[in-house]
Amino acid sequence: MTNVKSAMTRFRRSPAFVGFILFLVALVLNALLQGPASFFTVKTINTLFAKNVPFILVTIAQSILLLAGTMDVSCGVQVALVNVVIIMCGQELGLPFFVCCLLGIAAAVIASLVCWVCCSVFRLPALLASYALTYAIKGVNVLIMSVPQGKVAKVYYKAYDSQILGFIPVSALALVLVLLIWLYVKRTRFGSHIYAVGANPRNAFAAGISPVKVQLKAFLLKGVIVGIAGICITLMIASGNPLQAEDYGLRSLSACIIGGLGFGGWGSVSCAVFGSGFYVFIQNSVYYFFSLLVKMIPGFSVTSYWQNFVSDIIIFLGLLMTIVTAKGQREALKQGIVSQFRLNGKPAAAGKEGDGDEN
Amino acid sequence: MFELRAIEKRFDAVVALNGAHLQVAPGEIRALLGSNGSGKSTMIKVLAGLVNPNGGQVLVDGNPVEIHNGQDSRKLGIATAFQDLSLIPTMSVRDNILLGNEPCNKFGVVDKKACDALIDSLLKRFHIDCDPNAYVQTLMPSVQTMLEVAKAVSLKPRLLLLDEVTASLHYDEIEVLFSVMRELKEEGVAMLYVTHRMNEVFQVCDTTTIMRSGETVTEGKMSDFTLDDIVYYMTGQRPDKASKAAEHVADENGEVLLNVKDLAVYPKVRDLNLRACKGEIVGIGGLQGQGQSEFIRALLGAEPIQDGVIEYDGKQVHFKSPTQAVNAGMGFISGERNREAMFPVRTVEENILAGKVAKGKLFAYMTPKSNHAFANSAVEKYNIKIGALDHPANSLSGGNQQKLVVARWIAMQPKLLLLDDPTKGVDIHSRQEIHRILRQCADEGMTIIISSSESEELLDVSDRIYVFYEGCVSAVLEGANKTPELLVAAMMGMTGSEVTAEGGKAE
Repeated sequence: MTNVKSAMTRFRRSPAFVGFILFLVALVLNALLQGPASFFTVKTINTLFAKNVPFILVTIAQSILLLAGTMDVSCGVQVALVNVVIIMCGQELGLPFFVCCLLGIAAAVIASLVCWVCCSVFRLPALLASYALTYAIKGVNVLIMSVPQGKVAKVYYKAYDSQILGFIPVSALALVLVLLIWLYVKRTRFGSHIYAVGANPRNAFAAGISPVKVQLKAFLLKGVIVGIAGICITLMIASGNPLQAEDYGLRSLSACIIGGLGFGGWGSVSCAVFGSGFYVFIQNSVYYFFSLLVKMIPGFSVTSYWQNFVSDIIIFLGLLMTIVTAKGQREALKQGIVSQFRLNGKPAAAGKEGDGDEN
Repeated sequence: MFELRAIEKRFDAVVALNGAHLQVAPGEIRALLGSNGSGKSTMIKVLAGLVNPNGGQVLVDGNPVEIHNGQDSRKLGIATAFQDLSLIPTMSVRDNILLGNEPCNKFGVVDKKACDALIDSLLKRFHIDCDPNAYVQTLMPSVQTMLEVAKAVSLKPRLLLLDEVTASLHYDEIEVLFSVMRELKEEGVAMLYVTHRMNEVFQVCDTTTIMRSGETVTEGKMSDFTLDDIVYYMTGQRPDKASKAAEHVADENGEVLLNVKDLAVYPKVRDLNLRACKGEIVGIGGLQGQGQSEFIRALLGAEPIQDGVIEYDGKQVHFKSPTQAVNAGMGFISGERNREAMFPVRTVEENILAGKVAKGKLFAYMTPKSNHAFANSAVEKYNIKIGALDHPANSLSGGNQQKLVVARWIAMQPKLLLLDDPTKGVDIHSRQEIHRILRQCADEGMTIIISSSESEELLDVSDRIYVFYEGCVSAVLEGANKTPELLVAAMMGMTGSEVTAEGGKAE
C-alpha cells in the first residue's frame, strides 16, 4: 500500500502531472461539448485514434529527443517523406506494401541521421539546424512526388479504420507498440544514458558515456517512430501528399512542453502523450463549441480561422501554465531540501556534540 | 604505478603544462600542490580523460597508454572525484552511483535491485544518511561531495583522483573521508589528493608533488617539507611573516555602521543579532550551512526577510533588491565567482568596469582611454596576473579572477563590503594578497563583513568573529578570546557559559 502511495506522491511531483491535469480537463471539456452519449461510442473513439495517432507518435519521438538534450523540428515533413516513399515505391517500383513500409521507415531513419550529424556532430543549434532541414526535406518530398496522388489497397486502409475485439481501434495498436518499445528502452542502460546525457552531457562524458553515441541512438529510435507514424498517416489518407504534416514539427515541440518537458534529462514520455492528448481534445472541443454556437445562435457563421484562433489561444494559455508549474516544481524542490535539512539537522547536531566531548 | 612524463598542453596561446611530471605508486597518498594556474587541475584532467595532452606520455605500470575520454580512463582503473562534481542532479542517488556501470540482466534491462546491498554498504561506509531514491539536487552540497567520492570509490579503482573535495565538507565528514582513504591505502590503491588546505596535506598524505607555472618544481616525502617550504616552492617567494604579526584591534567605540536585531531568514537564520563598526573587519564563522550565506544575502537584499530589523548608516532599511543595497553603499563579493560575480566570456577590462558602470549615469560617455587607465591602475594595484586587458576573464586563474572581483568592488568605494567565502579554491598566495587588500581598505574606513569556512583565515584577518550555529550567533570572539580552540568549540555549538548576542561582555 505504501508503495502505491509513494508512487502517487512521486507522480504528483513529476513534470508529467500538470500535463495530466490539462489532459483530463481537455478530455472532460470535449466529452461535455460533444455530448457524452456521442463521445463515448466506439465510432468516435475510433476516429479520435485513427486521425490523431500520427501526431501523438511524432510527439513521442520528439519527447525522446528532448530528453536526450536535443530536438528535431523537421519531424513533420519526415512523416510526409515516409508517406511519399511508401506510395511512390508501390506505384513506380511495384513493390509489395510491406516492403514499401520498410523503405519508408528507412527513409525516416536516414533523415534523422542527417539531423543527428548537424546537431550532435557539428554541434549546430538543434532548433535552427532542424528548421533548415525542414526545407531540404520538403524539397526531397516534392522531388519524389510532385503532386498529391497514389492509392493504397482497400484491405489495408480498411483494416486501419476498424477495431479489434469490437472496440479497440487498430490505430491505437501502433501507439501501444511504440509505448511498449519505450518502456523497454527506458529500463535499459541506453535509457538511463539518455537521461544522463540530456541533463548534463559533460558529467555523462566524465562517467564514461559518449553523448554523441547516445544521441545517435536516440535519433535512430526517433526515426523508427516517425516511420511508424508515416505508415499510419498513409493508411489514414490512403494516398500520398508531399506537403502535409509540416506543422507537426513545431506543434509536437509545444505539445511536449505543455506536457511538462522543459529541458533535457527531466520528465518522461508520458508528458508527450498528455501534451498531444491536450492538443487533440482542445481542437475537438473548439470545433464542437463552434457548432453548438451555430445551432444556438441563428445566422451565426464564422470562418474556420476563428476556430484555429481560439484553439491556439487556449494552447498558448496552456504553455503559460508551464511557467506556473515550473515555479511549483522549484517550490517542491525547496521543500525537499528543507525536509532533508530537518532530517539531517537533529541527528547531525547530536553527533557533533558527541565529537566535541571526546575532544 | 601511474606516471605522467613531460606532459605538454596548450590552450590556444596559454601554456597550461610545460613538461610536467608526476608519479604515484600503489598504496601511496600523494598530495598535488600548486597555486591556481600552476597546471595541477590540468594534470588531473589528463588522467581523467577530459583533456588530451599535446605532448608527453602517460604510463601505467611502465607501459605507455592513450587516454582519449572518460571511458578509457575508467578502463585503466582510474576514478575521479571532481571538484565541481560529476553527478547528474536530476537523477537519483542510486542511478548516479551506477552511472556508466549499470548491471544488466539477460534481456538488457538494468537490474537495479542487484546493487541494493552494494549501494547501502557504500553509503554506510561514507556515513551518508540519505534515501538512495532521492534526487541528487535535493541533497546538501557536502552530501553531494561525499557521494561524488563514494561514486569514485565504488568503481574499485587502482588510482583515485580527489580534486579539492574537502572545500564544502564539515569536520566530521573530512574525518570519515580520511579514514576511508587510509583503508584504501591498506588495500594498495594509489591516491592523488589535490587541495589548498595545508593542514590536511600534513595529516593524511605520504608524499607530495609541487607544481608551479605548468612545471613540476619538486617532489618528495611529506615529512621532508615544512609549510614555509611548500609555499616557497609554490610561489617562488618566502611568505611574508611580518604581515601576519600585526594585531589589528578596531576602535571599540567606533561609529556603528550596521546593527542587525532579531533577524530571521527562512529557513536557515533565526533570531540573529550582529553589530559592525566603521573601519572594522567582522568575521563570520561556523560550519557549512549554518546560515552565513543567507544572512549576507539578506543584508544585500537578495533574500526576503521574515522578521527582524536592519539598521544601516543610522537608518532602518529594508532592501528589496541588491540594486537598492548597492546604491546605498554596499558591495558584495561571492565565493561562487562563476555563478555570481564573473562575466567569464567578457574581457578583463569589462569585468573591472562592471561595478563603476552600474552606478553611473546610463548614457554617460566613456572614452576608451579612461577605461584603459582605470583598468590598468586596478590591475597594478592588486597585482592581478593577466595576459592583456582584452583577454576573456576565464583565461585567468581562480585566484586572479577573485582578485578581479575584489578590484571591481573596491573601486566603487562601498561603505560596507560583504564577502561570502571569497577565498574558496583560491591559492595561498592570492589569498594573502586579498587579505592585505582588505586590511588596507579597513584602515581607510571601509567596514568589512567576511564569512569563511576556514578558521585560519578568520583568525588572521578579522577583528571580531561571530560564530553562527543553527541560525543564531553562538559566540562572539574578540581580543584574547580569538583563539583557534575557542573558535572550533563555538563552531561545534559548545559555548560553555551563557552567551548573549553581543558576546561575553556585559553591555
